[in-house]
Amino acid sequence: MRRLLLVLANDVRRHLKAPMAILIFMVIPLGMTGLIGVIFAPQTEGSELPPISVLLVDNDKGLASKLLVGAFDVDQMKEMFQVTVTDEADGRKRMGRGKASAMVVIPEGFTLDLLDAKPVTLLVVKNPSEQFLPDVVEEFMNTMAVMLSGVVQAFAEEVRGIRAMLDRPVESFPWDKLGPEFGKAQKKVVAARTYLDPLILRLKAEETKAAGARTSFTQADLFSAVLPGMAVMFLLFIVQTLMRDIISEREDGKLRRMLTTPLRPIELIGARIAGGWVMGIAVLLVMVAAGTLIFRATWGPLGGFLLLGAVASFWAAAFFALLHALVRNRNQSGAFSAPIILAFSLFGGSMMNLEAMPKAFRTVGILTPNRWFIDGAALLRDGRFPFVPILILAGSGILLLALAVPALRRRTSV
Amino acid sequence: MAGNDLRIMVGDKAFFFWTLAFPIFFIVMFGLLYKSGENAPAVAELTVVNLDEGRWGGYFVEKIKAPNLTIKTADAEPAEYSRLLVLPADFSARIEARRDQALAFKKRSGASVKAAARVETRLYQSIARVISELVLYGEGDLTKFLDGHPEFRDIVRVESRFPEKTVTVVPSGFDHSIPGTTIQFIMMMVIIYGGVTVLEDRKKGVLARMLFSPLSTADVFQAKLLGRWSLGFLQALMLIVVGKIFFGLNLGSLPLALLVIAVFALAMAALSVFIGSLCTKEDMIIGLAVLLANMFAGLGGCWWPNEIVPPAVRRVAMISPAHWAMDALHKLRFFQGGFADILPNLGVLLALSVVLAVVAGRAFKIRD
Repeated sequence: MRRLLLVLANDVRRHLKAPMAILIFMVIPLGMTGLIGVIFAPQTEGSELPPISVLLVDNDKGLASKLLVGAFDVDQMKEMFQVTVTDEADGRKRMGRGKASAMVVIPEGFTLDLLDAKPVTLLVVKNPSEQFLPDVVEEFMNTMAVMLSGVVQAFAEEVRGIRAMLDRPVESFPWDKLGPEFGKAQKKVVAARTYLDPLILRLKAEETKAAGARTSFTQADLFSAVLPGMAVMFLLFIVQTLMRDIISEREDGKLRRMLTTPLRPIELIGARIAGGWVMGIAVLLVMVAAGTLIFRATWGPLGGFLLLGAVASFWAAAFFALLHALVRNRNQSGAFSAPIILAFSLFGGSMMNLEAMPKAFRTVGILTPNRWFIDGAALLRDGRFPFVPILILAGSGILLLALAVPALRRRTSV
Repeated sequence: MAGNDLRIMVGDKAFFFWTLAFPIFFIVMFGLLYKSGENAPAVAELTVVNLDEGRWGGYFVEKIKAPNLTIKTADAEPAEYSRLLVLPADFSARIEARRDQALAFKKRSGASVKAAARVETRLYQSIARVISELVLYGEGDLTKFLDGHPEFRDIVRVESRFPEKTVTVVPSGFDHSIPGTTIQFIMMMVIIYGGVTVLEDRKKGVLARMLFSPLSTADVFQAKLLGRWSLGFLQALMLIVVGKIFFGLNLGSLPLALLVIAVFALAMAALSVFIGSLCTKEDMIIGLAVLLANMFAGLGGCWWPNEIVPPAVRRVAMISPAHWAMDALHKLRFFQGGFADILPNLGVLLALSVVLAVVAGRAFKIRD
């Protein structure tokens, strides 16, 4: 045991002397988490989208078109849309170069047609390289169309009056007869206020989880959700790099020389696996500290998370011990390890949200350590102890170790 | 020498996995995700729990109905739903008493955001329709409203289309995922393979032995650069051919798309020689390659549509070579752009290639 610990301590010292590769592998998950957090965090309260760039072409320049343009000027809409009023030629040129999400064209004669209650059409030109934002503009315009249609119908008589005013010369207009008309309009406005202030029907939208629990997602929550996936992915890379010593020492003759000492193969194997395990835990600890300091990520009870991390690191050490017992040389090790890690990460949910994946991919994900580590971290954040993920990682880790040790003993004998 | 380098790299058994099989796996994965972004539920689903004791609940549900919307009814809140609207027991009573009310609309997290937005918009439109009818009805007795009232008419309509001389049909998910994956894997593979082989050749003394032939250090450097450029371009060609055959990939102008990829691969080739000359360990090169390729790909729009990225990040993205390549490929594919449209992008990528080649040339070492 003493000799095992001496080899282990020597290995740890050796890796700490040249830590560049490990440091880079630790920077990557933090960098990726930062990038994802910055991009996908809610932009403003209640909005998950950046301001939508809209070009507005007013070919009508009448009362109704001004009302429509004004709708984009309401505070809530100002946060949602970044509107540029322009002429049609410039708008077409800009849309042809993809400089806005959409262009809204209000046709000539829009106000007069509306006052005549004739059907009118608003044109929305959508950016073909964008998949989501142009549709938001289209739906917003659809809603505006419904509202305008409603106003025109509700105040049909008044609208006709305004139309008549526009057609007649000012001097021939019967101003003295306008009093009662204004009175009627006032009554309608007062009646409308009953429905509009406050709105008689409103929506109270909320987001729910499968169990029905309410969620509100902050940037720190996003970091907390993304970081465990990234951390376990690069934990696998780091442990794999460390465990590659098993092969490289065999290749460059160090193993043969070490076994001329009173060191037994089982001690050497034990030291290598323990080295990968201990370094894995250390790496996770550094990532937890960095994630907490930089991103204010939350991990749930620290003791529980460390246990989960220790089990995941043990799994990784046992898995790569077995893999390195099966491959012939460093090249084979590199050729197999990286694809396996990336496949684990892709199916296990390190690279994308599990809920966004096809069902078959999620099923395959059950076979990966990433999935159980991510699930365990999520349970801890929800205040629950991750019994099942820990049991599965520990159980399968022990099984891998049981297969790895005899295989490695055969490869380690001189 | 460049041909020999390429032959050695292609001869590696893992080469086809990394340059072809693995990117295709990514293409399929992201292609399916993009497709579902377009949106998986062509018909969005809404579950309505109508507890209303009067007639207005049914009337409101009729107003919500639309061709792109499926309405399911339930007596109580079900365990499984994507979007749920609850009409309370006093829904009619409150309307008839002209008292305001807020309707609970629940969206399940993880369900399609686009479908949720479509349903929510439809609900707002239905509310606007009902309120318009109420205003039109005036101060009359609302208990008799449903026995006869003026119907809402859509006087204002909205028509949508793409700009002239661009696409006529919505591009497929693979038209988004193949260029992004190609650009990302050119970065990753050229830097890893290119960098590691420069390091190995130097460490094993291969570069030093080459100088015994009638070659100068500059010749060796140029050959290394050309070899790595060929690797990147070959990889792109393979992915494009696979994309054309199996996924009906459309890149707009193929020669111009290849030109963009060629210039981009040149910049990555120079970066790989630079990193290979600078690093002393293989693990460092792999780590740097993964770091740079992932950061550049994320910033450059290879993974997600750039439209959802905040404006500040979009400005930062200009430091990513992938941004310039992806932007050029978007101009070609989605806007049917020509040479003049992508000239600024080519200029930036070419300038970057020259700068990186100069820096790599200075860092290039024959011996450690």
